[in-house]
Formats: sequence, C-alpha cells, structure tokens
Amino acid sequence: MRPLCLRSPRLTLPSHTCPSFQWLPLLPLHHSRPASHASQGRANKAAQGPGKRLGAKKGASELVVPGNIIFRQRGTHWFPGENCDMGRDHTIFAKEKGYVCFYKDPETNPKRKYIGVVFERGMKLPVPRNKPRNRRLGLVGREREMGTLASITPPRVTSGEGNEALEVGGMTEQGGTLRQQDKRTRAKMPELKQMGIRPGYQYRESNRHIGRVAERAQVKVGEFKKRGRFLAWRKVNARRTKRAEKKASRSRRKKGSKNKSKN
Amino acid sequence: MAMPTYTIRPALHCLRNAARRRPIPPCSSPSFTTSTQRNVEALETTSTPPAPPPPNLDPNTVFTPRDERRLLRTGVHPIGSRRRRASILSSDNVPFEQMPYQCFQEARAVLAEDRSRKLLEIAEMRKRIAFWQNVPASDLGGEYAKRGKLVRMQRYLEQLKILADVNDPVIKKRFEDGMGESDIPLTPTLMLVELMLILGRDLGDMERPIYRYLADRKWREYKRKLLMQRISQMHIVPDMLPHLDPIAEVSLGFGRRNVQPGEFVDSRVSEIPARLNVRVFDKGERLVSIAVVDQDVPDEERDSFGSRCHFLAVNVPLSPTNTSIPLFKLKKEEHIVHPWLPPYAEKGAPYHRLAVFVIQQDGAWKGASLDIKALRESSRNKRDGWKIRRFVDKKPLKPIGMHLFRSKWDEGTDGVVTRAGVEGMNIEFTRKKPEKLPYKKKDGARYR
Repeated sequence: MRPLCLRSPRLTLPSHTCPSFQWLPLLPLHHSRPASHASQGRANKAAQGPGKRLGAKKGASELVVPGNIIFRQRGTHWFPGENCDMGRDHTIFAKEKGYVCFYKDPETNPKRKYIGVVFERGMKLPVPRNKPRNRRLGLVGREREMGTLASITPPRVTSGEGNEALEVGGMTEQGGTLRQQDKRTRAKMPELKQMGIRPGYQYRESNRHIGRVAERAQVKVGEFKKRGRFLAWRKVNARRTKRAEKKASRSRRKKGSKNKSKN
Repeated sequence: MAMPTYTIRPALHCLRNAARRRPIPPCSSPSFTTSTQRNVEALETTSTPPAPPPPNLDPNTVFTPRDERRLLRTGVHPIGSRRRRASILSSDNVPFEQMPYQCFQEARAVLAEDRSRKLLEIAEMRKRIAFWQNVPASDLGGEYAKRGKLVRMQRYLEQLKILADVNDPVIKKRFEDGMGESDIPLTPTLMLVELMLILGRDLGDMERPIYRYLADRKWREYKRKLLMQRISQMHIVPDMLPHLDPIAEVSLGFGRRNVQPGEFVDSRVSEIPARLNVRVFDKGERLVSIAVVDQDVPDEERDSFGSRCHFLAVNVPLSPTNTSIPLFKLKKEEHIVHPWLPPYAEKGAPYHRLAVFVIQQDGAWKGASLDIKALRESSRNKRDGWKIRRFVDKKPLKPIGMHLFRSKWDEGTDGVVTRAGVEGMNIEFTRKKPEKLPYKKKDGARYR
C-alpha cells in the first residue's frame, strides 16, 4: 500500500516552486482532525434536573399560621416584611396568624419587594411610618405563687396612688428598705438555696450567700484572744527581716555564680 | 532595695511647683450673658462656693479622691478631669499671652482682630434691631412681616455672638476643661450630701451663648446619635410618638447608678424615683412636664399591649443653668399629677420599655403653665391607658428630650410590687399554643 500522501501546509503556499518533497517522509503518517465542538459537558446543554418547586406557596390575603411557608426562592427576590421572617434558604415564612400581603415599601427601600402578614383581612401594608405598630401579645397568663419575700406583708401597706398620708414629695414611702426587711424576716424565712444564673452562665448561689453559709449553719468560732500584740509584732518583724536577708544572700550567691560561669 | 522613684514623683512635683503655681488666666473677653454683671463676675471664677474651701485645696489642682471629697464637702467642684488636674500641678501653667511661640502669638492677634470686627457688627446689629422695633408695622407690610424681620435679625445677632467667640483659644480651653463640671465617678464612698452637690453642679458658663453652642455641638457628636439609634431600634418613635427631635440632653439615674439609654434596670434599683439632669441649649427659663410611660403593658383580653403612666409632673422650671430635676424633690401640690410608681414587668412577658419624656410647655411663650387640678381630675389622665400621644396632641406641648430604660421580671419584682401595692401580679405568661390551619379533607375518591 502506498502511504497516504498528505501535504504539509507549507506546500499549499505559493512557494511550490521550491522542491520540498524531500521533507515528506518526516511528516506523521496518521493525522486526526481535532474536534471543533465539545461533545460532552456544558456545551451540549446539561439536562434539566428535577424542578425545585420554587415560587409562591400562599396567595395574597390567604390565611396563614405561624411557620407557614409563603414563598420559596433562590436568593432574595422577596424580602420578609411585617410579621414574616426569612429562613436559611431565603424561604419566607409567617411569624403570626394572619393574611398574606405582597407589597412594596418605597420609604424603606425603593427597589425591594416585601411579603407581610396582617392581622385582619383588608388591612394594608406598608403602614404609615408614624403610626404605632400593631402588636399581638400571643401569650396566656396563668396564676402562680408569688416569691417568699413578696408574700410577707410589709409593716405599713401602701396602696399606691391616692394614699395621702404615705406620699412624701412624689415618693411613696416604703416600709423599710429591702435589707431591713431581710433582717426582720430572716428568722421566719425558711432555709432556701437562692440559685440563679451568675456571670459566665453558672447556675449557682451568689458568692454573698456562700459566704454566709457558716453563719446560717450557726458554726461558732472561738473568740480571738488578744495576748501580747507588741511581742507578736516584734516576732513578725524579726521573721520578715530574717527572710529578707536570706533572700538577699541567696540572690547574691546566684549572681556571683553566674558571673563565674561567664568568666 | 530602694523604692522605685516614680511612686514619689507626684509628691515631689507638688513641693517643687507650689511656689510657681499660678491661677489659670481668667477669660478677658466681655461675655454675652443673659444675666446681670454680678453674675458675670461670678462666672469668671469657676464656681460660687457657699463656704470658702480650705486654703490648700485648689479646685484646679486637687487630684486625689480624698481631697476631691474634702473639696466637694465645701461645695466647690473640682474642675475638669482628674488627669488634667494632676498634669496642671506639674506644669508651669503659662498663660496664652506669655507663650513664647511667635506663630501662636501672631495667630492670636489675627483672631483678636476678627473678634473686634465681630463686636462692632454686633453693636451695629443691636442698633438696627432697636431702630426697626420702633418703626410702625404698617410701613413694613403688616405685623406679621415686621415680626418675621425682627426674628431674623435676632437670629443673626445670636449667630454673630457665637462667631465672635468660637475661635478664641481661651474659650476652647475652658470648655475642654469642663466648664466647672466634674467627672468624678459616683462611688459608694460618696456621701449623700456630696451626691446632691454633684447633681446640682454649677454650670454657670451655660449662661453664655458660646458655651451653650459648644455643649450642644459636643452632645450632638455622640450622645444624641446614640439616643436616636436607641429610639429607632426600640421603636419609640412610631409606638409612643409620631415624631421626635430631641434638643435637650437628658441623663437619668437611680440613686448612685447612672443609666444609659435603653439599659435594663433591675426592679429593685428603679424602686426609688429617678433623678433627672436636663440640659437645654437655648437661653431662658421655661416650664416643662415630665412623663414616664410604659408602653408594653400586656393586655390579655385584647391580645395586645396597652400603656401606663408611671410618673407625671407638670410646670417644672428648667433653664440652661438649672439642670437638675430629682423627681423625689418635686413638690406634690405644685407639680405632681401621678407620683412615682416603680416600673415592673410580669413574669414571662416581653421586656417593658420605659420612656422618660421632657416636654416643653409652649404657650404664647415658654412659660404657659398647665392647670394641675384639671389634670388630676380628668378621667383621661388615669394611669392605666395613659398615652403620651394624646397628652401632647391636645395642648401646646413639645417634647424636647427623652431617655429610656427597660425593665423585665426579676427576683426583686415580687417584693417591689408588693411594697407598691400593685395587685394582680401573681400571674405568669406562657406562650399560646399556635393554632393549626383548618384541615380540608379531600373527596373520598382520592384515597382509593
């Protein structure tokens, strides 16, 4: 078989007058044409994955309860407005029970679109800036026992306003300070561990209470006997001077040894 | 070992400089005060002592806390910061006129010339105002136009007064030295008497427009910005008032404790009435009302929040020099509509915002007093449901300053509430179980 005769590009040039056929044997025998278009990957349009089910889950003025998802999105096409919040993936959800409202608030931001929840159907958003906010308590009250200190009635009960006799210059006179009351009622008060959150998130009694443990347990310490204070003072001083001398001599010795080692 | 030298140095300085110490050069400029000449002289010395201070205690140089307290007991306030006082003690304290810097002295001469020009202008302006006051209104196009013209001229005159002094190095120095204010921290060692003295600290310089101007500028640099931030963060503005532009500095404290705007205050601390310090930066006496409002009172029936008035006083006199308003000192018959009710919060409820409003009573002039008896008897002025909006709307009142703090339930609340005689506090709030959406059952064919 004759080898395939491929011309080098040089031969196509008008310089064919030059007898360059002698170079032909040096050209590769097999030559493949490179692809001019990628056959795989992005270029051929990756197949669409499954739909992500984005978009509005609740329409305008639809009833929602706390936690209901109103809008799923990639990025923030919509922002959370009144009584709404935004999740980790920018999902808008309701924080209160109410009716969905899609709106723009040019005073806050001229470009953003907001989703809010109003308490009553027909209420409009955004509310005027100087109008008091509509707030919902969302709590239920139930009876509880008052603290131990509070249950003890102070010696003179003050009945708030209108009690002429007990008000002095605008201040309602109190039946003794807190500390005095504490003293008065200490005997009656049960031994309570007053636990609470202390700095550093420690749940324990306060240092003040810990310091009084011995007192409450009625631990008796022998009385301090004052004997010869002057003698004691002299002894202490003698000890101090002795210690200082010792220290000085030791340091001198150290310095001396260092110098020696240097030499 | 010898004692380190730095520990004894201040004492040495004291001894060395005792002879050289000179008083700070008094401000030589004539002042534009609203008061009489006698008062001006009083201003030149830094404060007006009720009793002469001990000879060895100079308000410019005391720097140990013990000496400061001794001086305070005589009614004199140490001047400026402690650090400054200590440094004065060791400096030569050369007055500006004798500073040996040629450029500085030439610059001073330029400023002095400018000032003299401004003084001439002021005199001219005063003459003109006097002239136009005597011109009949009909020649000026009516009473309204005449008043407008005079107001504009007066405003320009005030501007000139400030321009005359604003570049004066002596004035700058005196202002930065604290204008007779002391910055002694309120320590537990201070006696009550001393505390009272600090509260009623002498701000004599606030009589002069330049110091008022400088104080206002300083307040607007940081403190007012902080307050405005808290007002917007805590929604004071739409919730309590439709609009608020503070022009007076209000500082608040309970006993020895100072309170920053928006701080949480323990219920036991706020059991006693607050003490207020209100600095206004425009001249003149005026009457103000003071209201403390809680806007977060839980209302279970309405499933919402109501409001309550914790304190209301009216017709309280206030001026740039008379700044201290301790609420417990106000007279019951003259001022107080609602006496102090300690702030409290229910257990489990969200925190309560307590706003202290200083409201200027703007009638025909800054002195229109309110009828206190009518206020006491009016059914709209009850504590519960009292709204600052309504109070301000109906009368010629203008909120000029505010401060706020917060309160939440703590261990002391039960005691505070019992002592104050508040009922219905044996309640605890818990979260309401959220309702579910009504479940709509689809038709049966779907489930087959």
